Amino acid sequence: MKIVRKLALSACVAAMFATAAHADAIKVGSAGGVTGPIAELVATIIKGRDLARDQINAAGGLLNGDTLEMVVGDSACDPKASVDAVGKLVNVEQVVGIVGPSCSGATNAAVQAVTIPAGVVVLSDSATAPSVTELKDNDTVFRVAPSDAYQGLAIAKLISKAGIKKVAMTYSNDDYNAGIAAVFEREFKAMGGEVTANQAHEPKKASYRSELQTLTAGGPEAIAIFAYYGSSGITIIKNSLENGLFSKFYAADGMFDQSVIDQIGADNLKGKISITQASSDTGDSSYQAFADAFKATGADPAAPYAAHGYDATFMMALAIEKAGSADRAKIKDGLRAISNGTGEIVRPGEWAKAKKLIADGTAINYEGASGSADFDENGDVSGVFAVNVVGDDGKWTKALLK
Amino acid sequence: MDQQLYGYGLYIISLLTMGGIYAILTLGLNVQWGFTGLFNAGIAGFFGIGAYTAAILTTSPHTSHLGGFELPYVVAAIAAMLISGIIAFGVGKVCLKLRSDYLAIATIGIAEIFRLILKNETDITNGPRGISQIPKPFENLPEPWNQLAFLGLVLGTLLLVYVMLEVARKSPWGRVMTAIRDNETSARAAGKNVETFRMEGFVIGCMIMALAGAFMAHYLKFIDPNATDPLLATFIVFVMLVVGGSANNKGAILGAFVIWTLWSASEILTTQLPSELAIRTAYIRIFIIGLVLQFFLQKFPQGILPETRPSSPGKNKS
Repeated sequence: MKIVRKLALSACVAAMFATAAHADAIKVGSAGGVTGPIAELVATIIKGRDLARDQINAAGGLLNGDTLEMVVGDSACDPKASVDAVGKLVNVEQVVGIVGPSCSGATNAAVQAVTIPAGVVVLSDSATAPSVTELKDNDTVFRVAPSDAYQGLAIAKLISKAGIKKVAMTYSNDDYNAGIAAVFEREFKAMGGEVTANQAHEPKKASYRSELQTLTAGGPEAIAIFAYYGSSGITIIKNSLENGLFSKFYAADGMFDQSVIDQIGADNLKGKISITQASSDTGDSSYQAFADAFKATGADPAAPYAAHGYDATFMMALAIEKAGSADRAKIKDGLRAISNGTGEIVRPGEWAKAKKLIADGTAINYEGASGSADFDENGDVSGVFAVNVVGDDGKWTKALLK
Repeated sequence: MDQQLYGYGLYIISLLTMGGIYAILTLGLNVQWGFTGLFNAGIAGFFGIGAYTAAILTTSPHTSHLGGFELPYVVAAIAAMLISGIIAFGVGKVCLKLRSDYLAIATIGIAEIFRLILKNETDITNGPRGISQIPKPFENLPEPWNQLAFLGLVLGTLLLVYVMLEVARKSPWGRVMTAIRDNETSARAAGKNVETFRMEGFVIGCMIMALAGAFMAHYLKFIDPNATDPLLATFIVFVMLVVGGSANNKGAILGAFVIWTLWSASEILTTQLPSELAIRTAYIRIFIIGLVLQFFLQKFPQGILPETRPSSPGKNKS
């Protein structure tokens, strides 16, 4: 009997401590493919998220001095694991919102099976599949990583602005390049351009002369190439130049590599090729603020989607602060309010300033390390793209596309 | 606090649902490994065939993959089983002549071939991007009834499969199966057509695996080639069967629930750690599963519930 009473007492004490410790912690899920095919990338993305958390907690925390707690869940880049992990974050950990998961497939499954029915906001920092846009999500699925579809649009704009009306296009028959190519074709035609010929090619062929001969029909002024540089892109450009078939090239980021210049020659390419690439606005003070702080923790700010991970966490915190409470249902309106392009600009690291502005009722607009991070009606961001051309030093020179 | 309790409730429902789907998968393996002695290491392949068939047959039209049939769930599930059965028959024709370890190697290879086909036949499967917006039975009911109803469907199906396999196990057919597993030569000497029986066991097992795949596709509402990754679609199923008790249908079900709970709930502990540690300890879960397998193989090779032979007709129970 004594033992029972002692046990009951200690259980009570433990429970009191437990609630005391958690009363001032606001939990946000940090889902990612911690194990699985992109584990190394995810480790750095999570460091980006944790940097935002540490800065926020050091600069006054959330709401009334509550600490932001990031609860890691392993979505493993696998839909099964992701639904399980995100389900635990939502139901067991009772998180306010979720940053992640990493892979598009894991995100797609987790939001459809768990978070949309539960009404929990998900803000992904690295899912890029266009299919995430299509979901009927009651405005609960957001992402700071630009959809692949936007790069097709970016190239179409670039060519259109150069005054080119007639374009031939070819794409490597894989998922990524075929996807961008399809968007490019649609958007370029919508801008009044003409696609004179469009042909898929199989990668790793020794020569693409016959394909290129077909593509010259109809008098195109330039060719748009959607391919990986190693498996077909370099050969296509070489064949075109050798046979005088094309002299103006546009390409997506699969073609971005120094070896393109090294193998074909800077003189042969100068003024002839432009390659788009999803990019952080590296000259921007928002990016610099993040990059300096991230470097100080010993991590690489240029690592893929690390800046996006930082932004997603910072924005989730801003949304909670804006909502005024850790209430799941209010987060989506909070997110909409802090990054719609109007209001006082807040940059990475400026938590104290943002907190004060929100407290004063001033509208704020977060300008992230990865871009302006303003959401469209689908909860997507248009992203920042850069165009690379051959510079005087025989290296790629990057300029942002505006 | 109520919200927290409700959350635990929902988590337990999801635990039982996933456990139930894995239990169906494990029952399929039990027919092959437990009763017939076929070492099928290509579970993920047949699981994937079931998942993709159900996904393609039930989704609404979409430009990125074959679909738009919008068939009822039952029809899609039956089609998934039939297609898996037909493919299993073809695979069996080629592979079942092989002895145990060689059969394992061949089936691993075949499962990888299926995965590559799913990845590359983009017109049908949308390749690595997967199939999204798969409908889920009862999803329009209010929470938690939608999840409870789906759980009921999974557990009901599990019970049905279990009862059918129990009947089969106690029938002369089931006895021949175990006879072949234990001593193929004497079964042959008794006039049994070993090849036909092995083929039947293989095909039926693969059909049950496809049924589990169909349920998984509806439950996740999304399927891509990563969902057929062997770690969580082949190897964990073997662990479930070995721990629960090979050649015991109750054991297969128990093993599935125990191992899935261990796998899933162990993460609740690791998430309490700071993220730097949580990232590393995520791998401990894989280690734990391996450790459990080792422990049972060493100490309880027959599993939690060892095989019980049905009593022979005309004899008292021994």
